[in-house]
Amino acid sequence: MADPDPNEDMHIERLEALDAYNIMDTEPEPEFDDIVLVASTLCGTPVALVSLVERERQWFKARVGFEACDTPIEQSVCAHALGSSDVLVIPDLRLDPRTRANPLVAGEPHIRFYAGAPLVTPDEVILGTLCVIDVEPRPRGLEEGQKAALQALARQVIALLEMRRISQRKDDLFRRQKSISANIRSSVNANLAAQEAGRVGTFEIDVEASMVRVSREFCRIFHVPVAETYPARAFEDMVLPQDRGLQSNDESRQQGNAALDVEYRIRVPGYGVRWIARNASFRHDEAGRPVKMIGTVRDVTAAKREAARVQALLDLGDRLRDLGDMESMAIAAGDLMAKALDATRAGFGIVNAADETVVVPPEWCAPGVKSLAGLHHFRDYGSFIDDLKRGETVVVADVATDPRTRDHAQALLALGIRVLVNVPIFELGRFGLIAFIHHDQPYPWVEEEISFVRSFGNRIQIAMSRVEAEQEQQMLNREMSHRLKNTLSMVQAIATQTLRPVAEREHVEAFEKRLHALSTAHDILFEQNWTSASVYAVVDRTMNGIGVRDRIDAQGPNVRFGPKGALSLSLLIHELATNAMKYGALSNNAGRVAIDWRIEGTGEEAIFRLSWRETGGPAPREPERKGFGSKLIRMGLIGTGGVLVSYDHPGFSAEMTAILLQLEQAD
Amino acid sequence: MGQSTAPKKQIVLVVEDEPLLRMMAIDLVEDAGFEAIEASDADEAVRILEARTDIRIVFTDIDMPGSMNGMKLAAAVRDRWPPIEIIIVSGHVRLSDIDLPDRSVFFSKPYDWQKVTAVLHRMAAH
Repeated sequence: MADPDPNEDMHIERLEALDAYNIMDTEPEPEFDDIVLVASTLCGTPVALVSLVERERQWFKARVGFEACDTPIEQSVCAHALGSSDVLVIPDLRLDPRTRANPLVAGEPHIRFYAGAPLVTPDEVILGTLCVIDVEPRPRGLEEGQKAALQALARQVIALLEMRRISQRKDDLFRRQKSISANIRSSVNANLAAQEAGRVGTFEIDVEASMVRVSREFCRIFHVPVAETYPARAFEDMVLPQDRGLQSNDESRQQGNAALDVEYRIRVPGYGVRWIARNASFRHDEAGRPVKMIGTVRDVTAAKREAARVQALLDLGDRLRDLGDMESMAIAAGDLMAKALDATRAGFGIVNAADETVVVPPEWCAPGVKSLAGLHHFRDYGSFIDDLKRGETVVVADVATDPRTRDHAQALLALGIRVLVNVPIFELGRFGLIAFIHHDQPYPWVEEEISFVRSFGNRIQIAMSRVEAEQEQQMLNREMSHRLKNTLSMVQAIATQTLRPVAEREHVEAFEKRLHALSTAHDILFEQNWTSASVYAVVDRTMNGIGVRDRIDAQGPNVRFGPKGALSLSLLIHELATNAMKYGALSNNAGRVAIDWRIEGTGEEAIFRLSWRETGGPAPREPERKGFGSKLIRMGLIGTGGVLVSYDHPGFSAEMTAILLQLEQAD
Repeated sequence: MGQSTAPKKQIVLVVEDEPLLRMMAIDLVEDAGFEAIEASDADEAVRILEARTDIRIVFTDIDMPGSMNGMKLAAAVRDRWPPIEIIIVSGHVRLSDIDLPDRSVFFSKPYDWQKVTAVLHRMAAH
């Protein structure tokens, strides 16, 4: 066995030293090759090696006359040389007990002679050997001169390794220096970027010459090539039409009345819309004329957009509350979205996922931008419908390059769509709505904006569901009203037929008119979805129905009655008016009726009081016979009594009261 | 011809699918001094209008079965028989929902007998 069996510490020292020289498995180097060539010549051996011994193998940094670049440790003779700084000479390997079993000795290539000078580092660690090998035994070993030369060459190997190490450290230092510079550079860049985030550009306008001297940062903010001066017009013309008038111009600078602190939007070709905050002040000459306008500009796009998104979400709530149909909601929401995102078009579409179509109601469009209202097939514009169906938000930064749209880019560009965002909105797992935003110029979308659109979409979804439910309710109400009125018509028809033989037509007509009063009250209630009717509307419509509205002076606070109260009031004043037409103020051409109402008290005790006062009619007299009409009047509002009638001068009057809460109740 | 001085009664075509309501409408028309002809839907009304030339006024309900409702009938009358006057009645409340033809009058059901009578007389006087 070839186990050298020195202690473990020695192994570790050697391995650490080898590691420090960073030599193992490196490419051949001529300096080392020269050494083995000299050694083999010097000793007259066919083989010479620089052998470095690791734990499991020996590796040859340089070799002559030997094929393998390494061997397993079991085949190493050098390993036996590691214990001493003397040259190890083994005249016949086949006779030596340490080596006779070595496969290289016992078998091919049948080596017989070995001499190795240890490679001793300045720290006295032995790395391996510079050795010479022959296939013939040499009973006399090496000559002294050869031995000394071999040792000298071994020291040369160490010297080379040391040189290499020092030079490597130099490389290493150089590399480290480079990496430090790179770090510094990148940290400087990061710093620059930080500056750019809050970047401030400066400018100085020569009022007379209308030229502006600008800083580099100013140029970057306005996305123009860096230059020292520009005509002032160059920047004035970049301002969006909507914000025109905010920027200064020749006239406002010469007058010295240009707004000093303004925020406006500029359109940067190829970069979209940016928000600029500009602060300025004037410098005047001795005569007080403005000669310079100097100040700073900042790109406040990110802050503006964030504020705009928050505002848009707040506004959306208000707008949706006030709107009752989907179309105007979609436009209002599109308008808010577009403004928050500086879009050219924004809105919502109703999706048919199975057909892969979308119906776009009129949407918000920037001035001069064509509406997309109508039916569209998604596949006409690319393959992104696949993503939408999976519930994924589609952000196409450029329709001409995105693989989903590039084959249909012409169709999209023809519609003024360069950047496209579609957000699918699902309700109960059904894909039924998309929010879309278009830009005709590149627009750098940020994640916050996508979630903003999604949140918008969800709110629209909820609002639209609400409107849908309301519309259904309204249809139901309309149907109910229709049926009710048909039923009243049937009652009218039956009564007409039944009462045909009755000679006193007066009674038949009275019945018919009461039926109409009832029908009128139903009409008013229907218009309010059967919830309530205003007292004024009931008075107004009922009097109108019997053609005496122009002789009535009606007045009182805005009070609303529930269905029962409204029907009762309608019948009551109908009876009062009928009586007035027969006997009272409305029986001639001059009389009038004043109807006044008010609320007395508060809370649950509050009383509704209505007075009916006739003037200008014939002298009032109490009727002898009490008919149905009189009974109705005496019953009072919702049958609770509380009616006072008077036949005193100047005319008939009635005063009725009821508990307001009961009149307001729904049932 | 004869010695009678009584003027010939003008003819009103009453179109209403509900028999009771039709009966009442006929009574109303006759009480107002007209001769009533009845039809239970718009198709029948059109056949009658095509067959005779003496109809002065068409009094029609809106909601009726058949190929056309009262609105379509009224539009057809205005288009094909321009001189004929039109009265439309319906249980629908809002006039704004309804696009009335020229020279037509709308009454919400249940209608005021006297007001309808007054309109019939006014139309006949033209």
